Amino acid sequence: MISQPTPRAERASRSAPGRSAGIRVNLNLTRELAFTSFKLKYTGSTLGYAWSLVKPLLIFGMTYLVFVKVLKSGAADPSFPVELLVGIVLWTFFADATGSAVGAIVANGHMIRKAYFPRWIVVVASTLSATMTLTVNLGLVVVIGLPLGWFHIGLQTLIVPLLFIELYMLVVGIGLLMSSLFVFYRDLGHLWEITLQLLFYASAIVFPLSLIGEHFRVIVALNPMAQMLEDMRRALVTPTIPWSATILGSLEIVPCLLVCTVLVGGYLVFHRLSPRFAEAL
Amino acid sequence: MTAPAIRVEAVNKSFRIPLDHSTTLKYRATHPRSSSRYRPLLALQDVSFDVPAGEFLGITGPNGCGKSTLLKILSRIYEPDSGRVQIAGRVSPFLELGVGFNPELTARENIFLGGAVLGLTRRELEGRVDAILAFAELTDFADQKIKNFSSGMAVRLAFTVAIQAEADILLMDEVLAVGDARFQEKCFDVFADYKRQGRTVVLVSHDLGALNLYCDRVLLLQRGQLIADGAASAVTAQYRRIVAGMSDNVAPEPVRGDPGSESRWGTREVEVSAVRLLDAHDQGHTTFATGEQMTVAIDYRINADVTTFAVRLAFKRSDGADLSGPSTRDAEYRVVSGPPGSTGTIMFRMAELELLNARYLLSVSVYDEHLVHAYDHIEDAVSFRVVDARGRAGMVDLRGSWSQPVSEPSRRPEISEASASPTVG
Repeated sequence: MISQPTPRAERASRSAPGRSAGIRVNLNLTRELAFTSFKLKYTGSTLGYAWSLVKPLLIFGMTYLVFVKVLKSGAADPSFPVELLVGIVLWTFFADATGSAVGAIVANGHMIRKAYFPRWIVVVASTLSATMTLTVNLGLVVVIGLPLGWFHIGLQTLIVPLLFIELYMLVVGIGLLMSSLFVFYRDLGHLWEITLQLLFYASAIVFPLSLIGEHFRVIVALNPMAQMLEDMRRALVTPTIPWSATILGSLEIVPCLLVCTVLVGGYLVFHRLSPRFAEAL
Repeated sequence: MTAPAIRVEAVNKSFRIPLDHSTTLKYRATHPRSSSRYRPLLALQDVSFDVPAGEFLGITGPNGCGKSTLLKILSRIYEPDSGRVQIAGRVSPFLELGVGFNPELTARENIFLGGAVLGLTRRELEGRVDAILAFAELTDFADQKIKNFSSGMAVRLAFTVAIQAEADILLMDEVLAVGDARFQEKCFDVFADYKRQGRTVVLVSHDLGALNLYCDRVLLLQRGQLIADGAASAVTAQYRRIVAGMSDNVAPEPVRGDPGSESRWGTREVEVSAVRLLDAHDQGHTTFATGEQMTVAIDYRINADVTTFAVRLAFKRSDGADLSGPSTRDAEYRVVSGPPGSTGTIMFRMAELELLNARYLLSVSVYDEHLVHAYDHIEDAVSFRVVDARGRAGMVDLRGSWSQPVSEPSRRPEISEASASPTVG
């Protein structure tokens, strides 16, 4: 048995990375992965990064044409087109982030099979890359919209950061839950696509919530996405529409609880399944 | 004694092999009690061992014995079903010939990504990128996408990134299976460095010669069980006995070249049937250490009535540089032939191999006693690798010795007095 005192002493000092070093290493990997997927998303296409701007714009154009012009959706509300634009930008983020998070573990299988790192990193990194796109898109909307008087900024706007936190919690929760289940049940990918379609219409994006009858409106607003979008519109665009809390009353706790449940549940499922990822991939 | 670098206690690991691949919800819904459709595979059974810091440990065994599973458990990629694994220090794994590259990224970008997976930050890597590319011999391909690389190129890059992590423990799976003899020498140099620095290296390999040379200790796994744990020479010898006749390292090196082909010619009055490279214990190898005894054994068959013949060897390095061409004629050794149909063996023994780190080729030929008439000439009959544990550069150890003769003016006073006194007295 070989024992060399000097290197061992050296090793001892090196092998005490401590908690902060571990966090630094994980953050570094998260950042590298997020930038990588951001970079790769648009390489090979002619418009490149511009697609991330063009895509929500095209969706906005189409929905505007169909719902606002043809179906006269939100005709009573002159600022509805701006509400629609904000809704589309946020929805694109939600769909992109969850869509890529669902497949994140499988898509990074080559790394998961070859090295150990906390597995949540790939899920969070994939949502961060969508967050970068959201930041650019929102920045653009704000830069164009502010001088044009699209927004009503006031005290009510202070709630926006909280709404973003809620949105991100929901995205990460869904990402953790679906990505871990997707490793074992591959048809969840299709299922999630259809769910996204359904949620799109159930989240009152292409029509104002006020369009729905009073009782049914409560049920729709229980959906966290509908609640968040409605409050975003209230806080940013139209101060005259009601807060979701006004619609829901004490039931306002339900969408918040749903988000927390999805996040905690997603974490628990992920935590339980992640040790088996490498074997299943 | 301080805690070992690696401690494995009673580890069990089994896999569930699905009898039909059906990871869909529909299947789960329609076959709610489908757990019987799995066949359990015991990959590791009650494996326990300690690795002290600074040890160079080899793990070997037949395919499917659980070597790679064990390495994946050590690198925390798999979780054991039961048992405990304790690791002290930073681990850098090199498994499945990669560290998790993205094929769509360039070599340079992948260095940062692969480095991040191993715990290196962009800042730590920035100054080393050029050195990494140079070591991997990919400087000219820095900005090419990995997907356009040959597998050898990708593996070189992956290995180079893996050794950047300055890990306390290096876990290497079949790194020696990567072709390119020249790059392998570099890998060996790196291992030698690690060993010198007292870091722990775990090497999974089939190359018994290399395990013998490098490892302080070797584990032998068979069907998930640890069946031998001890000194490299003893365990590799045991493994050879187990797979006797099956391993490429043990069987006589096949004689290459078809009759009449460019690389083999001659009348076959005497025919070479096998060329073997043996160590001091008459074990066949394809890897030798500098300074080790090496014997070239040539098995032949007499096909015609020849009273004597001459055997000549030609050693050259894999790049073609000629080293030496010893022959029985130069050594004035008279070969005793035999009657037609008989077989025999002639050996050329080098008590201490003087070659250094490289891959070498050996041509073997049998001629008439005047070296004019070729009976059987086989160009590049066998190849072998020589590993110098000290990693010295060059081709040959010239066995010179260094000294500094003491000259008059530079003598120190007391020495000059002492050596002058006899003349005075």
